[in-house]
Amino acid sequence: MLIQTVVTGIAIGGIYALMAVGYSLIFSILNFSNFAYGPIIMLCSFFGYFGLGILKLPFWLVLILSMLVGAFLCCLSEILAYRPLRKRKAKTLYFMISAMGISILLENMVYATVGAHFYNYPQILQGTVKLLAADIGVLDLFAIIFSCIAIGALHFFINHSKPGIAIRAVSYDTVVSQINGININAIVILVFCLAGMMAGIAGMFLGMKYMAYPTMGWITNKAYISAVIGGMGSLPGAVVGAIILGLVESLSSVYISSAIRDVFSFSFLIIMLFIKPSGLFGKTLEEKV
Amino acid sequence: MLKVDNVNVFYGHIHAIRDVSIEAKDSQIVSIVGANGAGKSTLMMTIAGVLKKSSGSISFDGELLPAEPHKILAKGVCLVPERRRLYANLTVRENLLAGAYLRKDKAAIQEDMEEMFSLFPILKQRFKQYAGTLSGGEQQMLAIARGLMSRPKLLMLDEPSLGLAPMLVQQVFDTICNVRDRGTTIFMTEQNASDALAISDYAYVLETGRITLSGSGKEVLENPEVQKAYLGIKQEQS
Repeated sequence: MLIQTVVTGIAIGGIYALMAVGYSLIFSILNFSNFAYGPIIMLCSFFGYFGLGILKLPFWLVLILSMLVGAFLCCLSEILAYRPLRKRKAKTLYFMISAMGISILLENMVYATVGAHFYNYPQILQGTVKLLAADIGVLDLFAIIFSCIAIGALHFFINHSKPGIAIRAVSYDTVVSQINGININAIVILVFCLAGMMAGIAGMFLGMKYMAYPTMGWITNKAYISAVIGGMGSLPGAVVGAIILGLVESLSSVYISSAIRDVFSFSFLIIMLFIKPSGLFGKTLEEKV
Repeated sequence: MLKVDNVNVFYGHIHAIRDVSIEAKDSQIVSIVGANGAGKSTLMMTIAGVLKKSSGSISFDGELLPAEPHKILAKGVCLVPERRRLYANLTVRENLLAGAYLRKDKAAIQEDMEEMFSLFPILKQRFKQYAGTLSGGEQQMLAIARGLMSRPKLLMLDEPSLGLAPMLVQQVFDTICNVRDRGTTIFMTEQNASDALAISDYAYVLETGRITLSGSGKEVLENPEVQKAYLGIKQEQS
C-alpha cells in the first residue's frame, strides 16, 4: 500500500513538475506568474481528448501534437498579450492582470463552445503492473517516465546548449544580455515554446488521470505551489517542490482523508513560506538586483 | 569610425546628454572623463542602444547604427558596462560563450577563448567557476574578455578601473593598450582621469551632460582647465 501510494505521489508530482517547470521558466525570464498557463494546459487536455477519443489517433502522435498546440498557444499569448506590455516597459502587475484576462477568456471560450461537461478519455494506458508486491498503475508509470524524459531533456537543453546559455543569461540580466547580442524577443518566444510543450504533456496526462473539463486549469495552483516551494525561477527547485507536493497529497489522501487533501497542500505552502520564503532553491533577492 | 553627432538624451524631464558630438578614429583610445552624474554611462548606454536618444545621430563606419542593442553588437560595437555586470549564475566559460553569442564560427570561438586565457591567465584557472565567485579584479578581466569574445571593432569600456586596487588598475590599463595594439578601437569613460588620459589618443571632458573640453590625451591632461573643471564639479556636488 505504501509503495503504491508513494508511486502515485511521484506520478502526480511528475505532472505538477511539468507545469511548475513551465511556470518557473517564464517567471525566471519575465518575473511574473503567468496565470494563463492553466487554461492553456486545459486546452491541451481537450485537444488530447479530441485526438484520442474522437479522431482515434495513436497516443504518441496526439502527445506530440498536444505539445505543439501548447507551444503555439503559449507563443500566441506572449505575442498578443505580453509583448505589447514589454515594449511599454510595464510593471509586473500589468502582466499578471493581462494573464488573468487571457485565462478568463480561454476558460469562457471553452464554456461557450464545448460546454461545462467533463470528458472522459478513452481507456488507454490502463491496468497495473506488479512491483515489489504492490500494484502500480501503468498510467502512473508513464506519467513518471514522460515527466522524467521531458524535464531531463529541458534541463540538458538549458545547461548545455547555446540558446540555453542565452536563456540563463537573460534571466540574470536582461539589459546586458542584449548588449551581448542576444535578441530578447527570440529568447522569450523560445521560453514560451518550451513552457507550452510542457503544458502539452501535462494536459494530456491530467486528462487521462482526471478527465478534461473547463476549470481544470486551476490545478496549476498546485504547480504554482510547487514552484514557490522549490523557489520561483529555479528549475530543479520546481521539480523537487512538485515531487514533495505530490507525495504530501497522495500520502495525506490515503492515510488521513482525501477530502481535505488540499488543506494539506496549502498548509504545507504556508509552513514553507514561514520557514524559507525564497523556497528550497530560490535565488536570494540580492543576486537578482 | 564612431561618430556621435549632436545627441540629446532625456530621462523623463531630466536632460542628461546635451548636444554631445564626439568621434573615435580607427585603433585609437578615446576617453571621456567627468565626475559622477556627468552623463558618461548614459552616453555609453545610448551608443549601445539600451537608452534611446531623443535627437541627433550615431554612425559607425559611415552607417547609422540600428536601434536594437543586439543589432548594434552585430555591427561591431560592444559595451562592457559599468560594474562589470557579469552573469553570476553562469561559469567563466559560459560568460565568454555568451559574449560570442552572435558568432557561428565554433573553431574560431575556441581559438579566441584560448587567446583570452593568454591575455588573462587567471581566467583559465577559473574556467569552470561561477562568475559570481570571482574577485573584483578577476571579474573586470572577465568582463573585458567577454566583450572581446564578440570580436568588436569598437570596444566601449565604462569605468574599467572602478573599485579595483591600484595595482590592478595599472594591469587593466595595460590590457586596454594591449587590446588597442591588436587593432580594436577603445572608447572608455573614467573617473580615474589621470591614468585614463595618459594612455588616450584623444579625450573629452563631460560636465553635466555637455562636452566642455576636448583634445589629445596629453593636452587635456596638461590643460589647467581640466583641474579647474573638476574642482568646479566638486564644488557643485557639495
